[in-house]
Amino acid sequence: MATVWRSQRAFARFFAGKTVRILNNASDLGAKLTPASISVSSTQNYSNYAKSPFVKRIKEQYEFDIVKNPPEWAYVERLMPFESIPNVTPKETYPSGWIPPKEEAKNLPYFIARTRNHQMPIYLDLSMKGTRKISLIRRIEGDIWLLNDLIKEHLQKTQKRYVETRVHELGRFIEVKGDFVTTLRDWAYAQGF
Amino acid sequence: MTSTLINVFKKLNITAVTQIRLCSSATNVVSEHRDISVIKKDWKFPPQYTKPREVWIENLDTVKENKLGLFELHPLIYATVPRIDLIHRNVEWQKKYRWVSWAHTKTRAEVRGGGRKPWPQKGLGRARHGSIRSPLWRGGGIVHGPRSGKTHFFMLPFHMRIHGLTSTLSAKFAQDDLHVVKDLELPTEESEYLIDLIKERNWGPSVLIVDDTDYAPRNITVATDNLPYVNIMPVYGLNVYSMLKHDTLILTHAAAQKIEERLLNHLHSNTAIQQAKFKLDQV
Repeated sequence: MATVWRSQRAFARFFAGKTVRILNNASDLGAKLTPASISVSSTQNYSNYAKSPFVKRIKEQYEFDIVKNPPEWAYVERLMPFESIPNVTPKETYPSGWIPPKEEAKNLPYFIARTRNHQMPIYLDLSMKGTRKISLIRRIEGDIWLLNDLIKEHLQKTQKRYVETRVHELGRFIEVKGDFVTTLRDWAYAQGF
Repeated sequence: MTSTLINVFKKLNITAVTQIRLCSSATNVVSEHRDISVIKKDWKFPPQYTKPREVWIENLDTVKENKLGLFELHPLIYATVPRIDLIHRNVEWQKKYRWVSWAHTKTRAEVRGGGRKPWPQKGLGRARHGSIRSPLWRGGGIVHGPRSGKTHFFMLPFHMRIHGLTSTLSAKFAQDDLHVVKDLELPTEESEYLIDLIKERNWGPSVLIVDDTDYAPRNITVATDNLPYVNIMPVYGLNVYSMLKHDTLILTHAAAQKIEERLLNHLHSNTAIQQAKFKLDQV
């Protein structure tokens, strides 16, 4: 009994004579706890629910008002990821060596469309542990058979030998047997694709 | 009128090499006799080589077909070469992801009895057996049988789903099974009206109607309520299986635009998030 009494007296001494601030976890959530908001006087028993003070409307620590479409929003938008891959801004030269497609290529009876990243869709397929090399031309529109003939003719001229190709009409791609990716890319850039 | 028709046919002729790219001459089709206008589109991702397809905007407020205008569709969505393999993969996926197999068999441990050795190991001249529920026995347990609650869920890769949709839309459009209507307002809520309309316009036995909102007008919902072969769907519910299940696909003007916009955006953006491995808590 004596120990209980002593502890109560210690508690009373801690809050002696004046209103003090009660620390709690909400103190750092943008709201300042003033002595007026939550306060106890030492005369009251704080652990008593019925006698504890009402929580009043707290004062905001920072003054703010909500604005729709503020001018600063442009800076936030600048940080957001792109919704879609942006179009290329036309320039004189491109330091990366990227070659832009030419407008006149659209008048040809065949067409190789760029990928979504504005790259030329000509790839090398390696299989059989790298011994089987297939050059793949994808995204062909228009007359795929005419394009196939021209590719064969061009490779015959540059490689000085017959080069086998395979046309997939439904999948709109041409496979060329052998690694001719650089040759084919240069040819496609020269055509303006 | 004849010259108009010739113009239309010229524009529809896609195989002729000289006619492939004619994006600019769309306004030629406007006729003086009727107040038909081509709605020229200003796409975010304009077609590169293949010219846009044109489709009539029809009406639903009379049984007789009435053409209200022409509308351009993006060739990447509505005029690609239909990859039938991708359409098939999509249909298989849609059948499988919701399929839970409840076939079930009991193992030798679950079949009742069989705890006792049926006869002694030696001395009888008979085969050695330790349980009458062994899989060798009639009425015994089943080895490697089906166990119930087997899910067949998997996710088809994202671009296969996207190209499945474009392939199916293109196939429907090429087969003249895709129609665009202005809106879904019907004059009555009688089913007979809709039956007559479908018969008059030769819209196959089953019709799928797609709108861009979840709430269709009252008349059409009441009219289709007891027609099991006419169904209404919002844009976000559009799928390959339903498009193939129904003979005719009816898109509202707004729905056609919304489908186009969404799919085009996926075809021209970084889809690393959508292509990431499927996780159960990602939705």
